[in-house]
Amino acid sequence: MTQTAKKPAPLRKTILRLLLYFVILDVCVITLYPYFAMLCTALKSREEIFSAAGTVLPITALWSNFIDIWSRAPMARYMLNSVMIAGGSTIIAMLCGIPAAYALARMKFKGQTAFLGFVIVSQMFAPVVLLIGIYQVMQTLNLTNSILGLVFINAAFNQAFTIWLLRGTFMGISADMEQAATIDGCNRIQSMMKVLLPVAAPGIVTTLIFIFINAWNEYTVALCLIQDDLLKPLTVGINTFNGYNIIEWQYLFAASIFAIIPVVILFMCIEKNLVSGLASGGVKG
Amino acid sequence: MSTKTPAAPVGQQAQQSSPRLPNPGTRRFFRTVEPYIWIAPSIILMAVFIVTPIIKVFQLSMNKVTRAGKLKGFNNFENFTNVIKDPAFSLVLKNTILWTVAVVVISTLLGFILALLLNNQFKGRKVARAIVVFPWATTLVIQASAWKFIVNTDYGTLNTLLMELNIISAPINWTSSPTAWFAWEIACGIFVTIPFVCFCVLSGLQSIDNSYYEAATVDGAGYFQKLFKITLPLVKSSLTVSTVLNIIYVFNSFPIIWTMTKGDPANHTDTLVTYLYKLAFYNGKQGEASAVSVIGFLILLVCASVYMIYTLRKGDEDL
Repeated sequence: MTQTAKKPAPLRKTILRLLLYFVILDVCVITLYPYFAMLCTALKSREEIFSAAGTVLPITALWSNFIDIWSRAPMARYMLNSVMIAGGSTIIAMLCGIPAAYALARMKFKGQTAFLGFVIVSQMFAPVVLLIGIYQVMQTLNLTNSILGLVFINAAFNQAFTIWLLRGTFMGISADMEQAATIDGCNRIQSMMKVLLPVAAPGIVTTLIFIFINAWNEYTVALCLIQDDLLKPLTVGINTFNGYNIIEWQYLFAASIFAIIPVVILFMCIEKNLVSGLASGGVKG
Repeated sequence: MSTKTPAAPVGQQAQQSSPRLPNPGTRRFFRTVEPYIWIAPSIILMAVFIVTPIIKVFQLSMNKVTRAGKLKGFNNFENFTNVIKDPAFSLVLKNTILWTVAVVVISTLLGFILALLLNNQFKGRKVARAIVVFPWATTLVIQASAWKFIVNTDYGTLNTLLMELNIISAPINWTSSPTAWFAWEIACGIFVTIPFVCFCVLSGLQSIDNSYYEAATVDGAGYFQKLFKITLPLVKSSLTVSTVLNIIYVFNSFPIIWTMTKGDPANHTDTLVTYLYKLAFYNGKQGEASAVSVIGFLILLVCASVYMIYTLRKGDEDL
């Protein structure tokens, strides 16, 4: 309303503004509806969910569902596994991605364009289409049914995003300060660690969080590679409640909410930076 | 050389910052090799976990393969002919194209409109943007389970809600046919893809200088004229990037269909990726499954090459 308040608002403008609010409100309601349905269902008893005279809101909120899931399935283990997979993938993707992005941004070498082209094309190959190949490679490396295997796969498939976004960040920072540091006697690694990385911190944090989220949300490879129940991440583990005959919706959604919350909070932190990152790179993880 | 030189040639830069090595020859050699050392970890990671699986898949698709995954020699593209001869394949291919086109086109359109709306100044804009990001951040399995629950005929909250609001009097069977299930899967796909398009377009919109619009207003241009003559051309690059990436990601999307229907009944809701997953891990036909993968690559290759050419050209302008 701030803009229209400046001058006497013509009727047409007011109507347009109201329309805008109306549409935005609708979009927000529709977007949040699945989450609302999940929350309501997570608070219901089994009987209430399947009863014919059901209501959207739970008649009595059964908060105990949120406690029950921890004993009905190894939720704590799933959570820990997800943290380890996402954390490990993030660390490896950054350790490999930062030097590569640095080389692409600050050096000129033969095959630079080819490397960049490969990085971009690698996005075409989603893990799911390569699953058979991945499975065989993992068998050779003895990494099927292991968290470490998932860490490597997630790190590898997030390289494109990491390199592209970080290259953009590094190129946006002038090399002057690093040069000054070199004159002061720093070698390349020192000047990168002490000068470039602190300046590039916002871009690095955005990249970091985005890889973490991607790895946290990964489902297909984990579904295929992990057989041991105690090694499953949350995305696969919560399907314990999704049995062949009965689906325990209340537990499934209670567990899902635990899986969603950390990610949504992280995503909101980087939402603003991600927009500018997308503008320069345009890479979806 | 002054450190204030704004854009020092990269070659000189490298010269300055390379470590002081005793022998000039060694130094020159090190300078040539150095970039490759920096990109080596990344190359090794991608070579082992992306390139090797790609090679494996191509090998498997060309060979007779045992159930255990052992290669038994070149079999004259039999895997491919077997796949193509299977009547299910044409259905699956049709589904895949329908799924990709419907999800990408509709979500691009809606995402673009949403971005235009969110680009306005209004109270609560930050909150609205934070809410719109939700489906992007949520893992697809959970999103798909929620939708599967919502549209359930007997206890789904869509029926309950509509009945409570007195819009309908008896539960409607939303998923009476495979086609209906597929439509819901497409709806779910659209729902989760909109935020990405929206944020790509927003990033493009925010870089447009307001003076263009002011000048156009002075010249008497209307809203739609401004939209088509200023906004659209200037966000074209953002739209291209998001569209091409979405084609790739939607084409390869597995969790939504897998969670909602597993491609059943009888391949009616299968796309290439769920079909190949079942071939490989349920039926033990790794050769055929790899052939399906390769066919998928070939379809996507066209999109990826367009994207690569486009992005690299854009990247060169940045340099």
